[in-house]
Amino acid sequence: MSYMFILDKRKCVGCSACAVACMDQNDIDVTAGDRPFRQCFTLESGPDPEDKMTFMSLACMHCEDAPCIQSCPSGCLKKDPETGFTIYDNTNCIGCHSCAMACPFAAPTYNKEGKMEKCDGCLTRVKHGLEPACVRVCPFGALQLVEKEEYENTLRKKAAELIAYSSLKD
Amino acid sequence: MFDKEKEMTEMKNYAIIGFGCAGYHAAKAIRKNDPDGRIVVYSDTADPPFNPMLSTYYASDALPLEGTFPFGSMEEIVKDFQLELHSETEAVHVDAAKKEIELADGTRKRFDSILVATGASAVVPASLTENAGRFFLMRTLKDAQNLRNHIEKENVKSAVVIGASMAGIKTAEIFYRKGIPTTLIDGASGLFPLAAYPDVAAMMQAKLNDLKIAQIYNAQVAAIRSNTVELSDGRTLEADCICLCIGVHANIQLVANTKAVEGTEIKIGKGIIVNEQMQTNVPGIFAAGDCCEGKNLQTGETSVIGLWANAGAQGECAGKNMAGKEAVYYGNILHNITHFMDMDFISLGDISLPGEHRRFTGKDFLVEVCMDAGRLNSINIFGQYRISGILKSHLTKRLLHGESTLTPAQRGMLLAEGLPAELINLLGDKES
Repeated sequence: MSYMFILDKRKCVGCSACAVACMDQNDIDVTAGDRPFRQCFTLESGPDPEDKMTFMSLACMHCEDAPCIQSCPSGCLKKDPETGFTIYDNTNCIGCHSCAMACPFAAPTYNKEGKMEKCDGCLTRVKHGLEPACVRVCPFGALQLVEKEEYENTLRKKAAELIAYSSLKD
Repeated sequence: MFDKEKEMTEMKNYAIIGFGCAGYHAAKAIRKNDPDGRIVVYSDTADPPFNPMLSTYYASDALPLEGTFPFGSMEEIVKDFQLELHSETEAVHVDAAKKEIELADGTRKRFDSILVATGASAVVPASLTENAGRFFLMRTLKDAQNLRNHIEKENVKSAVVIGASMAGIKTAEIFYRKGIPTTLIDGASGLFPLAAYPDVAAMMQAKLNDLKIAQIYNAQVAAIRSNTVELSDGRTLEADCICLCIGVHANIQLVANTKAVEGTEIKIGKGIIVNEQMQTNVPGIFAAGDCCEGKNLQTGETSVIGLWANAGAQGECAGKNMAGKEAVYYGNILHNITHFMDMDFISLGDISLPGEHRRFTGKDFLVEVCMDAGRLNSINIFGQYRISGILKSHLTKRLLHGESTLTPAQRGMLLAEGLPAELINLLGDKES
């Protein structure tokens, strides 16, 4: 069974509860300058009042063919065969930032020792039948963890239908 | 018995010469796609695949020995991929026409397909080896062990590093961290001559000056005698430890002057030339990793792009094709990230390509881009590793697909990291 995170931007209000939950779950010391593995930010399409505002919540996308894995010179990253999450053991991390240069989503962060840390999908929680911390606290269900197969079969189809319907309405 | 014989005759024989990153990934791909094939590995060492990039970390005691083998022990690898390993066995020649490998003891072995993954070696000019004093290289595990032993056992009070390359700066960092006065020498006019724009190099050189690392550029080394480096302009520098880090060359001797089918030779440039399937001009003979010239996306020509991840992707592609699958590796761009002395320098693309330079600064970082008629040719980033992956992905996609737009998430992340909107727009982004 392989999972993926999806964000329904129509439901996200930019409250950053997901980022706070990530800090709590992973003991992120923000006062020391550490960052949560999940980042929230706002995108404005323009300066005018009628321009759109979009809220984003972004963490590791757990790419199927994750470029960070092959780029790591120390072999710290790998796929969890059960969940498909991109996980790591940073014992031999040299802090070279090669994984950061390989990641198209700026997911890797580095702790005070200079060693890489990143979202592991809340692997332990998920393996115990719990939702990832960020998903758990999202007040509007914008952030979800779904089974990849389910997404391919149903949710993607629904999303396509919604886009088609929206374009008809326009 | 009959079935077994049949199985034996139908079973494919694969040879992998050289067992670094490319060789490892090829073996993995072959085994995944051909569970029954015979995979024979010839390695000139008894060590598991070693990453040259980790040599300075081992030399400085920042990494234990086992940490320099990213894929684990040889026993595990051999077991996982069911390899027939011939360690400390040197292959001296590939007979492309017969698909045979000749070993150092004169024996010849025939295979259905052969991968040459012999890597690269440190450049040592012959002029520096004549009557030379002791100097250290920084490429192999043995090199790292030699330097580590020297620093541990000798009372090193001064060092000279020849070559202001990525390996050179990491070697200089070893001495810097130990408080040993160090001088960096290069024949080029500045730091990272193949990756940094002159103004960015000058800025980094000033920072190294602040750290008390002496630097001499435009200086040719004439000789290394005893504990002295002699420059061609007559200057001399004495040091307890002299390191030579002036680059690497592809190990192509194995196939050099090889007569292939119908008298043609395996094509060689600075490396063994391969197509997008990682196959040489001789069917069944493949090459991958630092010994080969794969496609450079920016020039459309082949060139050696000696990077760890590149070697892995090339090896994987070669392995799949050797096992009968149809795989393509579309190529890569020149790119590098160097984290040194708590600084980050990133270079994306070929800086020798012409264009107009624009420089943008943010809090504690700068980004300089080179654009030619709206086309992004190269980027230098200093002090901001987080945006490097987004920009590398963007540049690579543009070269592969003609155009690329940043996703809203990428655009938002770049803005959140302090990249000016003007630069994002300059890169030709249209929000998707």
